[in-house]
This record gives sequence, structure tokens and C-alpha cells, in this order.
Amino acid sequence: MEDKKEGSKANIVMVTDGASIPDPREWRLINAWSIALAGAVCALCMLCVLWPEPYLRILLYLPDGVLITFKITLLAICCAVPLGLITGLGRISRNRCINLLASTYVEVIRGIPLLVQIFYIYYALSRFVQVSGITSAVVAISFCYGAYMGEVFRAGISAINKGQTEAARSLGFNRYQTMRLVVLPQAMRTILPPVGNECIAMLKDTSLVSIMAVPDIMQRARSFVGTTYLYFETYTMVALLYLIITLLLSKAVSIMESRLNYYDAK
Amino acid sequence: MLRYLLSAIMALTLVSSQVWAAETYVVASDCTWPPMELLDANKQPVGFDIDFIRAVGKAAGFEVDVRNIAWDGIFGGVATGQYDIVAAATTITEERKKQFDFSDPYYEVAQAVVLPAGKSIKALADLKGLKVGGQIGTTGIFVMRKSGVNVDLKEYDDVGLAIQDMINGRLDAVVCDDPVALYYVNKKTDTAGKINIALVTEEKEYYGFTVKKGRKDLVEKLNRGIKEVRASGEEARLLEKWMGKK
Repeated sequence: MEDKKEGSKANIVMVTDGASIPDPREWRLINAWSIALAGAVCALCMLCVLWPEPYLRILLYLPDGVLITFKITLLAICCAVPLGLITGLGRISRNRCINLLASTYVEVIRGIPLLVQIFYIYYALSRFVQVSGITSAVVAISFCYGAYMGEVFRAGISAINKGQTEAARSLGFNRYQTMRLVVLPQAMRTILPPVGNECIAMLKDTSLVSIMAVPDIMQRARSFVGTTYLYFETYTMVALLYLIITLLLSKAVSIMESRLNYYDAK
Repeated sequence: MLRYLLSAIMALTLVSSQVWAAETYVVASDCTWPPMELLDANKQPVGFDIDFIRAVGKAAGFEVDVRNIAWDGIFGGVATGQYDIVAAATTITEERKKQFDFSDPYYEVAQAVVLPAGKSIKALADLKGLKVGGQIGTTGIFVMRKSGVNVDLKEYDDVGLAIQDMINGRLDAVVCDDPVALYYVNKKTDTAGKINIALVTEEKEYYGFTVKKGRKDLVEKLNRGIKEVRASGEEARLLEKWMGKK
């Protein structure tokens, strides 16, 4: 059942707006990832050491914002990944109703900017339900990325050779068992890297929630700028901070990818 | 050939019109702060500040081109010279004075605590433990921070969103300049009657027009204009128009 996996992997090219995941086979010391990380860390440290006022003060102002950003991202990942899986399965479902439902969800959500969704959930829907800023943020981001991830899951599952399903069915697995025990485990290897990618994109998009008065990194920074008017200094620190976080995460995704592809390693 | 000739003429007219016209200053205002500045039905900036800076310009001999700029970055733009003057109900504070130059004060305000209708407090300290909102980077937020009262401070992009959130019940109080509070309490139809002003701080603040540090010429022109607008009675007329004061 393990034949043709190379072929099936090559069938799909995933294009996402996430960070570029470093190639796990890229072992040389100097590559784009290490240059970016070293540069960002050096810049951050140098600024803080050479000009502790205001750079260190800015850095010390942001940590609680980092926590909120992580909190929203983690909660949103926990909701978006299962939502994406269900949507992906729905999109390939032979049940017309479920298929239509999942496809409509993807079409509708993909067509609305995340910023508008956040405004809609927090300010427009507040006429009917009242939820806190963080909850609205998690709901908005989960729904948005659930749709994106649904497409990733669908593509990953469809990329598994049909022979796999046929073999499993002829061995007496029912359709649920075939999906869970044969198709999904193989699909995971192609799905996880782009899903990781989406998660990183998600972390960056949490910066939009500052419009709901949620004190994430971006809101902390804006609040700092609001009292000190140090636009250049503050947003430089924020950019470096986001960059370092996403670079570390993209490395984590890359390591995960290489673990998953252990048996494919050349 | 004709095309080159035409474009040359057009370029010349553009350049010359800029040279010959009376000096025009670009003025930035954040039109989310009624009645000081807001957008009218035609999306044009209107309000007390807008009329006031136009009157000052007329008196001091310069043209005014008002642009609507988000509060969040409004000071950044004046520092980098994208516009010359900020006329956006800006309180003159020590912190701001370090980075920018200000005209003479032209209007006095205090901070108002707005609560849902029927609720009241006696002092800022009564807000302890509550969720208090305001517009990001405004003196309402600074006053709450400085007061030392332990509140959950929520910073919104504009004060209207904060008021809306309080009416929706997600926020206990909003702190903003008192003319703005009065506008939402009395004039704005969808909020009037749902909220009330519970407290106005003793400490007064003064609005000034903000310019880039070192632009003494402009400060001097603005101050001359402000004096003239006061002397001519134009100020009284504007106060009546926008604040209903005599």
C-alpha cells in the first residue's frame, strides 16, 4: 500500500500566503532562514543594548501582548484544524447535502476579508450575541482559516492514489476505516506542512484583532506610540518581534516535516 | 509633437499654479471626534476645529486643505511633514510638547466619564475593577492611567466604537473629552438617551494646533490667526454653531 507515494506527493503544489518553510534538507549554515533569524536577533539585541532608551523600554512594554497573541493563535489553531478537517472531508463527501454545505462555507468565508469578518462578529453580531474581544477574535480567525485549511485537507486527501482506497475496500475495510486508517495517515504527510504554514499566517493575522481593543502585540505597540509618538522605534521592534516568532515557528514546521518524511529522505 | 506640447503646457500650469496661489497648508484631522471634527453626509470633514482652522487661515492669510487622517498615525504624519498642521482636538500635553510645537490654546475641555443611562459614580475611584474604554492615544486614556485606579482599560480605534460597545453591554464606562461626551449623550440620535455623563474631571485641558517641531513661522501665523478670530467675534459664532454656547 506504500507504492506511488512519491508520485502522489508530486501531484499537488500547495500555494499559501504563509511564511516560507525552510527546506529540511537545507543543512548549510548560511541560508535564507539563518540569515533572517540571526539578522533579526542581532538587530533586536543591538538596539536594546546600544539605545536602551527607548528600545528596551518598548520591548519590556510588549510581553503581555505577546502572551495574548499566542493565546489567540493557539485557541484558533485548536478550533481551525478540526474545522478544516471536517470541511475538507465535507468537500469530498459523496453526500450532496454535506458537500454543498462545506463548499458554500468555503466560498463564502474565502470571499470576505478577515478584517471585515472580525468587525462583523464583534460589532455587527453584538446585536444578538455578546462575546468578549478574545472570543470574537478566536471565532473569526477559526472560521476564516477553517475554510482555508479545508481546501488544504481536501487537496491532500484527493492527492492520495485511488488505488489505496480500492485496495483497502477490497480487503474488507469500510469507508470510514479506509479514510481513518489508510488515506488520512498518508495524507497527513502532505497536509501538515501547509497546515503549519497556515498556522503561521494565522499568527500574523492576529494583529488585526487590535481593532476590537484586544491588547495583543500590535495593540500594545499602538498604545505605546499613542503616548510617546515614537513610531519608527516602536514599529521596528514590533516587526522584529513578529519576524523572530514566525521564523522560529517556520523552523518548527520544517523539523516536523522532515520527521514526517523520514522514510523518504534521500 | 502636439502631445509633447500639450503635456509641457499642462506641467507648466501645474507648477505655476502652485507657485502663484496663496500659500496652502495641509491640515490633518481625525473625523471621528464629534462635534470637534466629523464627516458630513457628503464625506467632507466638518466640525468646530475644521471651521476654526479655516477661520484662522483666512485671518492669517493662508489656504487650508483639510484631510481626514486616522488618529493612530496622525502625529507621525506631521513629524515627517506629510501635512503641516494637525487640527484634531489635540490637548497640549508635556509629553507631546517634547516632540511637537503647539499653537496657543484655543479651546478648554475636561475629561468626562460616560456611563449607561441611570448609572452614576462619585469619583474616578468608583470605576475600580470595571471595564473602561476610550480612544487609543487620547487624553481620556492617559487620565485613567495616571489616576492609578485599577481598571481594565480597553483602547478602541475610535470613541464611537467604545460608546457602541458600552451600549451593547461589553463595557462599563467610556472616558473622553466632555464636548464629545455631550454630543453622544444629547445630539447623536442612536446613542442619546441610552447613556449619561456621570463625572467631569476638575483638571482642565487645552486644545492646540499641532505642527512639526521647529516650525516657529507657522506657530506664529496660527497664533496671530487665533487672536484675530477671537477679536472679530468669529469664535463666538462658531461656538454657538457647534456647541450651542453663547
